[in-house]
Amino acid sequence: MTRRPSLPTLALLLLAGGCTPPGKPTPAGPSRPDEVTDFRTLYATNCAGCHGADGNLGPGPPPNDGLFLRIVADAELLKVITDGRPGTPMPAFDHGKGGPLTTRQVKIIAEGLKPTWGKPDPSGDPPGYALAPGGDAGRGMAVFARACAGCHGDRGQGGGSVDGRPVGAVNGPAFLALSSDQVLRRYIITGRPDLGMPDYAGTAGRPADFEPLDARDVADLTALLASWRTAPAGK
Amino acid sequence: MRRIVRAVGGWFDSRLKVRESVMPMLEHPIPAGAAGPKGWWYVFGSASITLLLVQIATGIGLALVYVPSTDQAYASLEYLNYRQPLGWFLRSVHYWSGSGMVVMVAVHMTQVFLHGAYKYPRELTWLFGVFLLLLTLGMAFTGQVLRWDADAYWGVGVGAAMAGRVPVIGPAIVELLIGGQTIGAATLSRFFALHVFVLPGLLLALVGGHLWLVLSKGISEPPEPGQPVDPKTYDAKYHELLKTGKPFLGDAMSKDALFSSLVVIAVVVIAALAGPKGPHGLPDPVLTGANPRPDWPFLWLFGLLSLCPPGLETFVMLVFPGLLVVGLLLVPFISNHGERAPSRRPVAVMAVTVAATTLAVLSYAGATAPWSPVMEAWSKDPVPVEMVRRSGPLELQGAAVFQNKDCRNCHALDGVGGRRGPDLTDVGTRLTHNQLIDQVSNGTPGGGNMPAYGKKVNPAEMEALAAFLGSLRPPGQPPARVAAP
Repeated sequence: MTRRPSLPTLALLLLAGGCTPPGKPTPAGPSRPDEVTDFRTLYATNCAGCHGADGNLGPGPPPNDGLFLRIVADAELLKVITDGRPGTPMPAFDHGKGGPLTTRQVKIIAEGLKPTWGKPDPSGDPPGYALAPGGDAGRGMAVFARACAGCHGDRGQGGGSVDGRPVGAVNGPAFLALSSDQVLRRYIITGRPDLGMPDYAGTAGRPADFEPLDARDVADLTALLASWRTAPAGK
Repeated sequence: MRRIVRAVGGWFDSRLKVRESVMPMLEHPIPAGAAGPKGWWYVFGSASITLLLVQIATGIGLALVYVPSTDQAYASLEYLNYRQPLGWFLRSVHYWSGSGMVVMVAVHMTQVFLHGAYKYPRELTWLFGVFLLLLTLGMAFTGQVLRWDADAYWGVGVGAAMAGRVPVIGPAIVELLIGGQTIGAATLSRFFALHVFVLPGLLLALVGGHLWLVLSKGISEPPEPGQPVDPKTYDAKYHELLKTGKPFLGDAMSKDALFSSLVVIAVVVIAALAGPKGPHGLPDPVLTGANPRPDWPFLWLFGLLSLCPPGLETFVMLVFPGLLVVGLLLVPFISNHGERAPSRRPVAVMAVTVAATTLAVLSYAGATAPWSPVMEAWSKDPVPVEMVRRSGPLELQGAAVFQNKDCRNCHALDGVGGRRGPDLTDVGTRLTHNQLIDQVSNGTPGGGNMPAYGKKVNPAEMEALAAFLGSLRPPGQPPARVAAP
């Protein structure tokens, strides 16, 4: 007579033989927060609050934006995460600057953005990311009328709508005080695709004969917005 | 073969006299009522002992690997969790069986209390039981400390701080408990000795006494309304009852065995599904992100301590637990006679209901700890997408300010975030723009919970923040306005 193995024996054999019940712990990640080196984890715990769970649809400028990642320099990403943008809600993240992350972790985030969200999209010829001096606010007004007024009103006071949602003002002192020239330039170039704002070449809400903004247009628009500022950024 | 076994067995038994001494114990008569369907009420005590045996077996297994030193304890648990084959399962069974033991002891005690089984002549059995409960909780606490993670470290810290409040001898108790002035190597050694030698030794001795009393005073008959206990006549009545009694080795033992088996199976299944507890985070006081919580048997105390007003702390820490223990010890002396049936003892039923509800509510509060800010919420909890979608440029900046100034750590949006302060998902319907600015600038009027942020937020940030908060309204709801005078 062959004896059948009892239920407990079977269960133990299953446990020992590689069957993994849900309770079996997987080797935990690092036990110290400064040892975390996974980009996704670092992003989720340090950036998602303002930049959105998937890098967009947050209040801060979305890093999950192919155009932005195409034009921004690696060094710039590293610098802004390390030092923050003084005067804006972007804080410094490096330990050395009073932030919560090690220099290594800051580097991991900065270097992880492009591989994670960058797109191989070489179409178009977008203006560069870096601030260009010498913008002409007077000429910027004409560009504004062509590129922005359709939604943001002729003096940036807001009033248009996108998908039935009202578009807010961009000429308010508080908004401009909290926005660096750099982020204004960035929005002019990249728009906010996650919120329906077109990029430098997009045609949504713009005249039928709209031509993509060139480097000078972008510099002039940035100068115009900066000229509306009543106090220096951050004050 | 059988003849040989019988001969060898007989040789030993003629010297050990096991059959003469143990068999009568197993065959001692119990009241017929306790052998019938009502016998299911009597299975919790034996289940507690079964789990104690599981604890001893798994505990020995763990002690073979665990290193009770501060620099290796954590690593040895990780070794058990990830590298030792089935080490995680051993830890898991030990944790869940220990939890089950706390539950079984509590259920057993509740049953004895509700059935008035502590009354004459079983007062001493109850007293042993109270100390067994305390020892079981002592095992739970010391076991938590051996995990030597952040929960353990801060758990000892809280325990020592509580002990330190004892007048006059407080500092001496703390020194004895943690082996010095600070939590360190000596602390872990002491808790290891407590968990592995001292408390189990006491526990086994008291279990022995408890069982001896159960045997010598007999198992109580199921309570019947209208049959009060009278110490003068009870013994004779019980003696009479046993004449129609049934041997323990039979129906009652089968019920005990079946229930204990089910409990062990449940523990094993839960252990396989839920896994071991921790270790969670290194016990490093420098890590400010630690969010320590006691194990579940102490969550109610954590909740109680967190919620009690500062003026009551010493009372809640030192006097109140003492009162609880004294109260439990006094139970059989307050009423050792009279009705036993729960239907005739409304005060007893009420006491159990109130105690269970209080424990459950405080445990829930302790588990959720809404009073603790969520320290990473500002950077980890995304602003709800719907709020972002309906925000303009200024409101978006305000939302970023809201996160950057740590508002989220105390205030949830859409239920996510801290719960120290109110959820602000629709605050725009309650406060006007100016009221929002006032609230943020000056904090709660009269020095309440919310600090004043006026000096930490510049005018532009304040404007953006108030614009964002004012926009937090369900679709179609108008903004708050000041009521007409």
